[in-house]
Amino acid sequence: MTDFLNAIVLFSNFVLVPGLAYGSQLALGALGVTLVFGILRFANFAHGDTMAFGTMITILITWWFQSMGINFGVLPTALLALPFGVVLTALFVVGTDRVVYRYYRERKTEPIIIVMVSVGVMFVMNGLVRFIIGPNDQRFADGQRFLIKAREFKEMTGLDEGLAIRSSQALTVVVAVVLVAALFWYLQKTKTGKAMRAFSDNEDLALLSGIDPDKIVRVTWIIAAALATIAGVLYGLDKSFKPFTYFQLLLPMFAAAIVGGIGQPVGAIVGGFVVAFSEVTITYAYKKFLIYLLPNEWAPSGLMQLLSTDYKFAVSFIILVVVLLVRPTGILKGRLF
Amino acid sequence: MNLLQNPSLRAVLAFSIMAGLLVTVGVYQSWSLALTILNLCIISSIMALGVNIQWGYAGLFNVGTMGFAALGGVAAVLISKAPVAEAWAVGGVNLLLAGVMVLVTIGAMVVVRRVMAKGTMQFLAMFATGLAGYFLIRTFYDPAVTSIEAVDSARFGYLGGLGLPIIISWPIGGLFAAGAAWIVGKVALGLRSDYLAIATLGISEIIVAVLKNEDWLTRGVKNVSSLPRPVPFEINLQVSPQFIGWVEWFHASTLAGIADGERVAALKQMTIEASTIFVKISYAGLFSIVLIFILMLSVLALNSPWGRMMRAIRDNETAASAMGKNITRSHLQIFILGSAVVGIAGAMLTTLDGQFTPGSYNPLRFTFLIWVMVIIGGSGNNLGSVIGGFLIWFMWIEAEPVGNYLMEFVTSGMDENSALRNHLLDSAQHMRLFVMGLILLIVLRFSPGGILPQRVKRSES
Amino acid sequence: MKKLLLATTILAGLSASAFAGEDEIKMGIILGFTGPIESLTPGMGDSAELAFKEASDSGILLGGKKIVAIRADSTCIDAAAATAAAERLVTADGVVAIMGADCSGVTTAIVNNVGVPNGVVMISPSATSPALSTIEDKGNFFRTAPSDARQGVVLADIVLGRGIKEVAITYTNNDYGKGLSEAFSNAFKAKGGTITITAAHEDGKADYSAEVGALSASGAKELVVFGYLDQGGKGIVQSSIDSGAFSRFIFADGMIGQAIVDAIGDDLIGSFGTAPGGDNDGAAKFLEIAKGKVASDGKGPFDGNSYDAGALIALAMQAAGSMDRAAIQAKVMEVANAPGEKINPGELAKGLKILAEGGDIDYVGATDVEFNDVGEVFGAYKELEVVKGKFDTIKIH
Repeated sequence: MTDFLNAIVLFSNFVLVPGLAYGSQLALGALGVTLVFGILRFANFAHGDTMAFGTMITILITWWFQSMGINFGVLPTALLALPFGVVLTALFVVGTDRVVYRYYRERKTEPIIIVMVSVGVMFVMNGLVRFIIGPNDQRFADGQRFLIKAREFKEMTGLDEGLAIRSSQALTVVVAVVLVAALFWYLQKTKTGKAMRAFSDNEDLALLSGIDPDKIVRVTWIIAAALATIAGVLYGLDKSFKPFTYFQLLLPMFAAAIVGGIGQPVGAIVGGFVVAFSEVTITYAYKKFLIYLLPNEWAPSGLMQLLSTDYKFAVSFIILVVVLLVRPTGILKGRLF
Repeated sequence: MNLLQNPSLRAVLAFSIMAGLLVTVGVYQSWSLALTILNLCIISSIMALGVNIQWGYAGLFNVGTMGFAALGGVAAVLISKAPVAEAWAVGGVNLLLAGVMVLVTIGAMVVVRRVMAKGTMQFLAMFATGLAGYFLIRTFYDPAVTSIEAVDSARFGYLGGLGLPIIISWPIGGLFAAGAAWIVGKVALGLRSDYLAIATLGISEIIVAVLKNEDWLTRGVKNVSSLPRPVPFEINLQVSPQFIGWVEWFHASTLAGIADGERVAALKQMTIEASTIFVKISYAGLFSIVLIFILMLSVLALNSPWGRMMRAIRDNETAASAMGKNITRSHLQIFILGSAVVGIAGAMLTTLDGQFTPGSYNPLRFTFLIWVMVIIGGSGNNLGSVIGGFLIWFMWIEAEPVGNYLMEFVTSGMDENSALRNHLLDSAQHMRLFVMGLILLIVLRFSPGGILPQRVKRSES
Repeated sequence: MKKLLLATTILAGLSASAFAGEDEIKMGIILGFTGPIESLTPGMGDSAELAFKEASDSGILLGGKKIVAIRADSTCIDAAAATAAAERLVTADGVVAIMGADCSGVTTAIVNNVGVPNGVVMISPSATSPALSTIEDKGNFFRTAPSDARQGVVLADIVLGRGIKEVAITYTNNDYGKGLSEAFSNAFKAKGGTITITAAHEDGKADYSAEVGALSASGAKELVVFGYLDQGGKGIVQSSIDSGAFSRFIFADGMIGQAIVDAIGDDLIGSFGTAPGGDNDGAAKFLEIAKGKVASDGKGPFDGNSYDAGALIALAMQAAGSMDRAAIQAKVMEVANAPGEKINPGELAKGLKILAEGGDIDYVGATDVEFNDVGEVFGAYKELEVVKGKFDTIKIH
């Protein structure tokens, strides 16, 4: 029995908990990508850099708060700064839409051109973020770091394996759940939310029924900016902030959005977790896990690793390609939204 | 302004400006630098041509350029490096057996597919066969890799190549890329355009991941350097009496004006400069031949019945399909052709660099930058892609000194020790991305057809 | 035509600013200011410039000339862009020597395509790939960072000497990490150690829990990290400590620095590693003069090496008594190696003076520079261990 518990704890510590946290971070990012895709109908390559931009603003405000002695007790100060970060990022993104995207939307330009435009915006934001905060690693986390430490867990339970949960991991999962619930409520219950869904389903019909397209677009950008900022800050709290990493996040986020079924919020969440868990489970070495579970004489001698971690990054893309082949609409198909 | 509406004049003007820019660099900075930029401009424009064939002719949104360019680079290694006999001796047999096992597995999967009825069971059985095959392959493959990579790993640790002249790798690089494109095309071309984009992006990442990690084939991140060259080495020219003779003859009048004591030193410096320029001109010549050849073929193809069919398909798939054109096959053809061109350019780039570094392939530089070239040059227009490749590469290199200069100009009034001044000066390098983005946005907004818009008017879809 | 005029004006302005005065010496600094190691390079660039400034301020460099440093971006990964940037420095700006490049891949490209053809001295502060030892550089290439081949062996001895027989290895997936990992594995296994798993990690990626999971499942108690302290290496260490996977780490030079101690805290106590450097107090002196003047206060992993690279160029030029590229090349070995008066960081003026008077110096610098016959440092290594809040030197190997 102890062996079984040990195996479970081992698996939770190295696969389940990190997978959950990383999955939530990807899901929040993918949600933003999918929202823009569903309503504005283009793949937004600037989303990763929007995350970096929003996080940067939040960090600057956090530093300011910290210098004034404001803090949030056991929770990170960044959470206090987050609303300001969201507002400023939303303003910037809506401004970008005014100056850049609106022109193409009004002319009904091909989506591919708008994708190229978003690549341009990506370059500009990329430069802007490095210009303001620099390319370095920035730490801004404070407050209590752990809910449970591995050592404490071992002492508490008497098991051989420890389980560690960082506050930032718990925070990420909680915020992700709350945010997703709120988004669904908004899309299902409010007038604007319903209008957004209608707009996504059939633009012409929605326009005929008197929906104000400008408002839909504005709200979409605001939500996307909020999701990006929150995802970026949570990620930064959990790991650390570095502009280059945020650009790299773009690819797994795209993979998540497509694997789940692009244009569908639920799909983005499912996709985020599928990508995160497949990365962890396929490259995990199951040797120790099996030693706990199997009788001694069956204990494996090798590492029992399906794929070396060298290919971790490729895993999400292999899944992406397989999903596109077997089920091109993504895991969840059907109506958008 | 009316003159600018004439496409031919516009092209002539664009190329004259480009030539002017390069000459300006030559005069104000140095000719050696101008030629370095020119060589990379040519390679970039060949890559842009490859993308343009896919996007401009058929509307295929391929963002996997990076992967195909990297495959071209592998060809340069596999063709030109000398084989490592010891590595073949220790790992060759197992590696071949692993190859046989791959074929056996694929064969078994095909059999299962034929024999069983369609459905979930068939899928599961195929999956199980594949999994069993995977472990079977690894029983031969793992020891092969371990033994090959152990052969003098600081110098070799891979199988080496064929030891042939590197120039052969250019067409072979094209073939490699074409082969990969065939597989990718079979897999992904049925998808919608935006899906195709992200699928190709993913596949190119997988290709680069393989090149980075399969050390037995490519030496992985340990890089392969000192590749052979199709042109002479500068240092050999510098000691060649014949070459020195040419330099002396070329600079005879200048040398005559120099005092006796300094003449030898002056000649030495001239020889150094001449040798670097000679090598770059030789490269430029070879690259230009390839560029002109590919450009001519592209133009011919575009105006052939086949090209007309392609344009018809691009503009209206439904109508073309109703006319009995096989759209999937045409798309596959064009996907392979475009990718092959990118592969050729990739092999040329690796040749010019003199080394293969898998770690250097990143999507920003090898995919998005190439796309910027195509869009800015004018999608659908071959000459446009060429000028786009030239101009954007030129900007990419010159944005840095220009950024530095602008920063110094902006901060010149500030106090020497001001924090803002130092911050701005340190950030100058990041201007490059910013400037690139801004140029892209401005062109897309004010001249969406690019510098040289497509001449053939698109039919309304 | 407008475009052309504009471009011409800008370029003319550029070259005007680049025209050096009579008393100026132009020096190139080529580092990856953008790209994967963009967070390390500002400190490295500042360190080199600190050495140049010290030499200029002495007032006796070639009879009172000033060094003007011109920075260029190697991008760390793009050989083509790096070559073009180096070409610009050498042929357009006309620099007399180059401090750089940084990453081994682009460094090889620049040496082959620009350095050797033009006969320009290059001193790299951070290219550590063993492959660079055998490059055909015609005596133009030096490095103040030792080849990884030796560090791997030294580190393996230290680990075994501490009675550790079994380790897991993770390395950053580039030529530095891979080369070091191979050198270490070979030495460690040859001397009876066991390596349970070798797993690569990519820098700048989103999440390292998969790597940590695989590493910890291998059963080893100690983790060897060949990475960078502000990149994936740090991510791996952080994630390992958080999940309780490993509590003791073994580092190579890329991971040694105050930044990682500050970032991780007391959990790192007991971890140890190697970094190039001898038993001199040069490193401490460098930190003293770098404080407040260098982006990272001189604590970055290659800051000391960068200062030394810059200082060596200035000293070699003084020894040569001219700005001629070939003459400088001939003197680098001489000023770096014994015999001669030992010169520490902050004492460049003294060194320049001795050279001006025809004396001989032995530059020691921040990292105890001593070149072998192929122009790379022998590499004495410090064994360092983390105690409360910092790395402490235990022993010199």
